Amino acid sequence: MIGSFKRLLVGAASLGALALTATGLQAQTFEAVKARSELLCGVSQGLLGFSSADGKGEWSGFDVDFCRAIAAAIFNDPKKVRFVALNAAERFGALRENKIDVLIRNSTWTMSRETELGLAFAGINYHDGQGFLVARKRNLTSVLELDNSKICVQEGTTSADNATDFFRSNDMKFEMVVAKSLEELGKNYDTGKCDTLSSDVSQLYSERLSLTRPDDHVILPDVISKEPLGPVVRANDMKWFTLVKWVNYALINAEELGITGANTEQAKASKKPDVRRFIGADGKFGEPLGLANDWALNAVRAVGNYGEIFERNVGNGSKLAIPRGINQLWNMGGILYAPPIR
Amino acid sequence: MIASLFSRFTVATLAAGAMLFAVNGASAQGRGPAASLNDIEKPGYTPTPDEERLTGPWAKQVVYFRTTEEPGTIIVHTSERHLYLVMGNGRAMRYGIGVGREGFQWAGLLKITRKQEWPDWRPPPEMIQRQPYLPRFMAGGPGNPMGARALYLGSTIYRIHGTNQPHTIGSAVSSGCFRLVNADVADLYERVPVGTKVIVRHGASL
Repeated sequence: MIGSFKRLLVGAASLGALALTATGLQAQTFEAVKARSELLCGVSQGLLGFSSADGKGEWSGFDVDFCRAIAAAIFNDPKKVRFVALNAAERFGALRENKIDVLIRNSTWTMSRETELGLAFAGINYHDGQGFLVARKRNLTSVLELDNSKICVQEGTTSADNATDFFRSNDMKFEMVVAKSLEELGKNYDTGKCDTLSSDVSQLYSERLSLTRPDDHVILPDVISKEPLGPVVRANDMKWFTLVKWVNYALINAEELGITGANTEQAKASKKPDVRRFIGADGKFGEPLGLANDWALNAVRAVGNYGEIFERNVGNGSKLAIPRGINQLWNMGGILYAPPIR
Repeated sequence: MIASLFSRFTVATLAAGAMLFAVNGASAQGRGPAASLNDIEKPGYTPTPDEERLTGPWAKQVVYFRTTEEPGTIIVHTSERHLYLVMGNGRAMRYGIGVGREGFQWAGLLKITRKQEWPDWRPPPEMIQRQPYLPRFMAGGPGNPMGARALYLGSTIYRIHGTNQPHTIGSAVSSGCFRLVNADVADLYERVPVGTKVIVRHGASL
């Protein structure tokens, strides 16, 4: 198996065609990961709460935990991941060129990224959207109350366009205050150059922490764009796509079933059919994917269920303190809905 | 009224065979280790304004909240340690709360049956037994563990009430009641009438 994998690589390289490399490796990602005994996971170079490395090169964060969950599902060892730090410009190329097995880098799922880049989003792990940061003392409850505002945005992002569209379509007057960098963006707002700062909500919470008095500012509940973030794989490998997708679903299902990182042993004693299928006691749901039948339980034991991952990295247990909002289970007021394991 | 509530309290507890006011209420998602028993009730203690000022996820704020429940409905997420007052148009006022310890968490649908400013406190017999130094009765006011306001839930022993110990917000320490800081419970008190629907949700159990 490894031999043929290498031959394919060599063959493709001699042809010098990247497209052929991708085609040649079709349906081989899982085998390559197994042979390497390591998952190559593309993550952000540093995004508070989502992925960051400490001084010792130890990675942590929301996206990082999803990488570890995949490794745990395959190897029953969340450490068998090599994190590949990627900037926004190089991320999709790295995936297309097989430099990574999966990209989990706060990437928005859009149609063109699938149809034009030959990639596939294996579900959504975070529903983001563009929002607005304002002073708490203003007691605002809606973006619609921001008429006649100066809006701080960052150059080269879609935030300015989205905000412009939103304000125009609601007949609200505004003025853009454009920053060249993230630092300048926060500084502009902190020094009172604008009334509100607009960006993706997850970023607003981290931006807020950089302000002089974070607790004097709130993020309004409205979002004016859809930014569904999720893991991305190459579109030509259905088996790998299915595996990554179901690890994501397993973490969500675990929360719905009450399975946590701490109670996996008790889960083994459960009589509930859904729990028994999840832990691999009933049925053989791992086998068709080349996994052990307790793959889902191994993933949860390693990083916890979706709610635990969320709260620890970006929610109540973190400095960011992002509300669950729509990233809550469908039966608890959110829109997280995973198909059943059966 | 209070006396009859507490006698029901006893009956319900015995029926459930639960250990009332057990010491350990450690929670996976709380903000730090659970308070010890002695930390739970501190009659007479008046918190400083600084202590009462909540930050981060426990500070009162308007959040996006998706629900089909009518505006004015209260929804409590015990595992999140949040109480939501549905405002309609996809939003809710969110308050940080302290919830029942493991084994004291419950889910269901109730209505607010009574509202009380600065409620009196009569520790139930089980609590007196464990903490004999507790007063048998304490008139409502600052320093009262019930805090500034109480909203009674159905004919149960449960209430949404204030607290004189703001640091317990975000953790699981109570015997099933939901506690807010006094400013928050007073704010909520003004917003909801008797008859308000209260939905309590917590995570699934194995």
